[in-house]
Amino acid sequence: MPTKPTAPQAEDAALFREFEHTGDLGIELDAPTRGELFRRAAVALAMLLVETASVAEIEDREIAVEAQADLDLMHDLLTELLALFTVEGFIWRDASVTEAGRSLRVTLRGEPFDPARHAFRGEIKAVTYHQLMVENSPDGWRSRIIFDV
Amino acid sequence: MDLIKLSDYLWEIPKTGAMRVPGRVYASARMIEGMREDPALTQVANVACLPGIVGYSLAMPDIHWGYGFPIGGVAAVDAREGVISPGGVGYDINCGVRLARTRLHFNFVEPRIDRLADALFARIPAGVGSWGAIPGLSIEQLKEVAGQGANWALRNGYATERDLEHTEEGGMLAGADPDRISERAYQRGAKQLGTLGSGNHFLEVSRIDEIYDSKLADALGLELGQVTVLIHSGSRGLGHQTCDDYLKLIVGAMARYGINLPDRQLAAVPISAPEGQAYLGAMAAAANFAWCNRQVMMHLAEQAFLDALSIAPIELGFELVYDVCHNIAKFEEHSVDGRTRLVCVHRKGATRAFGPGHPALPQALRPIGQPVLVPGDMGRYSFVLVGLETAMRETFGSSCHGAGRLMSRMKAKKEAGGRDLHAELKALGVTVRAHSRAGIAEEMPHAYKDVAEVVAVMEAARVTRRVARLKPFAVIKG
Repeated sequence: MPTKPTAPQAEDAALFREFEHTGDLGIELDAPTRGELFRRAAVALAMLLVETASVAEIEDREIAVEAQADLDLMHDLLTELLALFTVEGFIWRDASVTEAGRSLRVTLRGEPFDPARHAFRGEIKAVTYHQLMVENSPDGWRSRIIFDV
Repeated sequence: MDLIKLSDYLWEIPKTGAMRVPGRVYASARMIEGMREDPALTQVANVACLPGIVGYSLAMPDIHWGYGFPIGGVAAVDAREGVISPGGVGYDINCGVRLARTRLHFNFVEPRIDRLADALFARIPAGVGSWGAIPGLSIEQLKEVAGQGANWALRNGYATERDLEHTEEGGMLAGADPDRISERAYQRGAKQLGTLGSGNHFLEVSRIDEIYDSKLADALGLELGQVTVLIHSGSRGLGHQTCDDYLKLIVGAMARYGINLPDRQLAAVPISAPEGQAYLGAMAAAANFAWCNRQVMMHLAEQAFLDALSIAPIELGFELVYDVCHNIAKFEEHSVDGRTRLVCVHRKGATRAFGPGHPALPQALRPIGQPVLVPGDMGRYSFVLVGLETAMRETFGSSCHGAGRLMSRMKAKKEAGGRDLHAELKALGVTVRAHSRAGIAEEMPHAYKDVAEVVAVMEAARVTRRVARLKPFAVIKG
């Protein structure tokens, strides 16, 4: 049975931390649950691409991914989202995640990207596998992702 | 990491654990101290674990931490028994640099810099999702670009025969299979032909402020005070998506071939495997897109010069000096352990640097060796070098590709906080046009090593020789 969608969290500003990587862009994020970790990763990606404060939540888009390992789910989800931005020109401000076994359904709330209104923060070429990490500990869920920029 | 000093500019990482060959790092003693704890050296050792690797896992002096391969890494694998690693080429397939010369002297352009910078900025789209440099192309047309490379530009009025002769591989890599590129990759590249992108990509207008070898400079048509244009870009979204598509395929296929590697990003399959062959066909097609991209941008830059300076093409004399790629895997013959072998050379942030007489060089350049274009940071200088015979013996005909980052993008942005970056660069004599402040902050001069040190190491090792130094005065960025 699919779980309930993860509710958006109020405080997105402290959603992720950038860490030092000489050539590329690395982030770490924590979340109390697995679904919330994926939701935060989705929102973090949008925040790395544009200033999301200027993005209006006027349209929904849905992405579904399936993979055996959480590591692959994270990689594939972020890769699909990057394509949503680069190919379809859609940018989101928030997301909700529904988990069903080894698959995720993610609903993105945003609008078509408009370079005149949405301040661009930086191009992301890809989500790498280098040092990619998704782990669960008694303290919650944590992920580490390096983007090629 | 244990390092054995072999000379003042060459260090060895001894073969341990799963390494199949030793690692070798070109660096000065000062540089090596700065990188002892850097993950880049571990990455050199990881690359040495690739099945079929021959000689050494090499690192050029601009080495820094990448993903999988270090940036500045070179690995040659046996063409029959070796593996192909998409991560050893990178997401930006055939990211590269081209240098065009003009007949203009800096004194003529100096009073018109702002007008010229505005014209270039208007003509050449840069920044995120930049598009619309030329009319949009259909998927069928994009497939033609992927199959023909810079030849497509020639057929469509964006290039001359001479441009193609002065481009590595003639601007078209053999073996390209446009049908191996996914629809999504074509969609990502659809409007991006002739666009710069962002990150460390740029167009730089420079003047030659130093000539190191007048004979070589004459042969390349370079002289003091001359205005030149350096363009750094790659295969844009089409290449990024192609790497992504094949990395995923190869990560999944690797176990079938019994390949285990210390970093998933190094994922590799035998060159002869269907997945390996498919990747090579797609990689060559993406490389062709990149050559065509830089060619179209050069054409747009020429138009911008003509408009902004109100001069005739003959007065401008815009001609390509050379175009090199620095993210690629290519089949080449090299001498390994005293015999000539066909190898697949992965260059990840490294430039081909063939010495004089090499048959791959165009007739006009054969006597002097291949031009190697090494951009520095936008506040200092860039270099034109040529490959030497030693490169053929010791580095699989490869040299450095840039300054190499010293500081993370995050740290560079923090250090730039509150500063007027445009004014600082103006004080250095550089006019910048950029779409984002973050883009300039991440690429500030202090974020990079001094490229002069990098090329000095390559010269001390007799891999390349300096010909000329370029001082930027107008820079276009994403």
